[in-house]
Amino acid sequence: MGATISRLADKPNLWPWLLLTPLALYLAVFFAVPLFDVAVMSFTEPSLSFANYERVLTGKLYQQVFMNTFMTAGLVTLSCLLVGYPLAYLMNHVTRRTAMLILLLVTMSFWTSFLVRTYAWMVLLGNNGPVVAFLAAIGVDPAPQLLFTRFSSTLAMVHILAPYMIMNIYTVMQKIDPVLIRSAESLGARGWSLFRHVYLPLTAPGIANGCVLVFVICIGFYVTPVLLGSPREQMVAGLIGTQIEEFLAFGMGSAMAIILLVITLAILAVYHRRFGLDKLWG
Amino acid sequence: MNRLMRILGVLVVIFIAAPLVIVVPMSFSDARSLQFPPPGYWLGYYYAFFNDWGWLRPTWNSIIIAAATMVLTMILVVPATFALVRYRFYGKSVADLMMMMPLAVPHIVMAVGYYSFLGDLRLVHTHFGVILAHTCLAVPIAFLVLSANLKGFDRTLERAAQSLGASPVRTFMHVTLPILRPGIMISALFAFIQSFDETVVAIFISGRNAETLPRKMFDSIRQEADPVIAVISTLLFAVVILALVAPAGWKSIRKRLRSKTPPAAILGSQ
Repeated sequence: MGATISRLADKPNLWPWLLLTPLALYLAVFFAVPLFDVAVMSFTEPSLSFANYERVLTGKLYQQVFMNTFMTAGLVTLSCLLVGYPLAYLMNHVTRRTAMLILLLVTMSFWTSFLVRTYAWMVLLGNNGPVVAFLAAIGVDPAPQLLFTRFSSTLAMVHILAPYMIMNIYTVMQKIDPVLIRSAESLGARGWSLFRHVYLPLTAPGIANGCVLVFVICIGFYVTPVLLGSPREQMVAGLIGTQIEEFLAFGMGSAMAIILLVITLAILAVYHRRFGLDKLWG
Repeated sequence: MNRLMRILGVLVVIFIAAPLVIVVPMSFSDARSLQFPPPGYWLGYYYAFFNDWGWLRPTWNSIIIAAATMVLTMILVVPATFALVRYRFYGKSVADLMMMMPLAVPHIVMAVGYYSFLGDLRLVHTHFGVILAHTCLAVPIAFLVLSANLKGFDRTLERAAQSLGASPVRTFMHVTLPILRPGIMISALFAFIQSFDETVVAIFISGRNAETLPRKMFDSIRQEADPVIAVISTLLFAVVILALVAPAGWKSIRKRLRSKTPPAAILGSQ
């Protein structure tokens, strides 16, 4: 075994390059070039200048949209954590059978197209839906407008992204050695202090993974905020879409896309240096 | 702490299940607009879906595009995965990272890029254009699944075959490939689903000609919330359940069949 590895490492081998070339060429042409196009357009449309970036970075509307995006993504990430942690905990403290059923439910939710889930929330929160009916029954009448608000889009995004958080925390929790918990208990840790000093630190890697993943996906989210959110409180991706589709303002759209990309890659780069990017999705 | 966590956990189960459960009765509803619980039940919207080319054509487009994306992705990814998992070479870690990039870039950014890039090539609003774009987006996912499989591959099996006189090609065809087949199939399935579900890029580049199902659903939800969406949601949902439950069901059937054999075998031996 050792001999094979050293032989492969020492002798310059053409095989890996030959195998890798088709994909590398493909990604260079059909991935890197379009991305480069965006960068070029952000400087050249309509004329060669920094004007687009200047407008995006100083304009009040654009600043507000970026702020709104980060606030929403932060809120969604926090909510996913608050939703995901208890569920992962529950899955580790019920019978194997029940845990498998919950896992099946989460997987099912994960595999269901997010258009379907967005539509389901439209039904749930609509004016003729069960939530409004329930509110009327307990005396909240007229019910507040739920659909097409920041509330509805945030709620749907939490539902859509929660499986990422749950899976990440669940896998880490599963690996916790029960001996550690028992020995902490025998040393007198109970309730909150057991959670705070033993359970929480042990699950921290899963929390970090889940939060980074949810936040990064959320700041680039297009479909759900556009369909369920308030048109007056857009997120960055939605505004990019409007610039391209309605105003044909490719320069502005591209500049915003590049800023979004830089922020996303910066977050992932920090994560990569600490944990390694391959762990995030794997 | 424990009890609080359990109560919260049960609430979360309801939160996750509710939207998945609600679409099914909605698809049988006879209401013209969104209304729950439905005033009455019928199969009218199923009939509408299967008789409306406005819905069937995008469904067909999506299947064609996803199938082509799957094939192209596998042709590119299978050799590359062998290179990245089995060989060490200069620049390998960079290549690893580059493979993951399409997953890191927000789809809206790629949508802007493809809109202009494919526009220059006159491929915007064509099936081929969508396939080219979707293949890039499917590469990282197919690679993740396949490389996990290949890493767990026991290479002594290949060496055993070669020591028994099999040529490298024969070893690959008769040992490596059959063992990797399930991994390759799952990886291909992920590529298919990635394309079939992809919405954002398709919204911007598929146009009227190559309109995919997610694009059509997006437009429909945005404009009028056609009740047919509940039908499609239920059908998609049924496929997911089938895909998730079928392997488990198949296993239990096989187990039952097998569990019948031992008593007979025991009787026979007596």
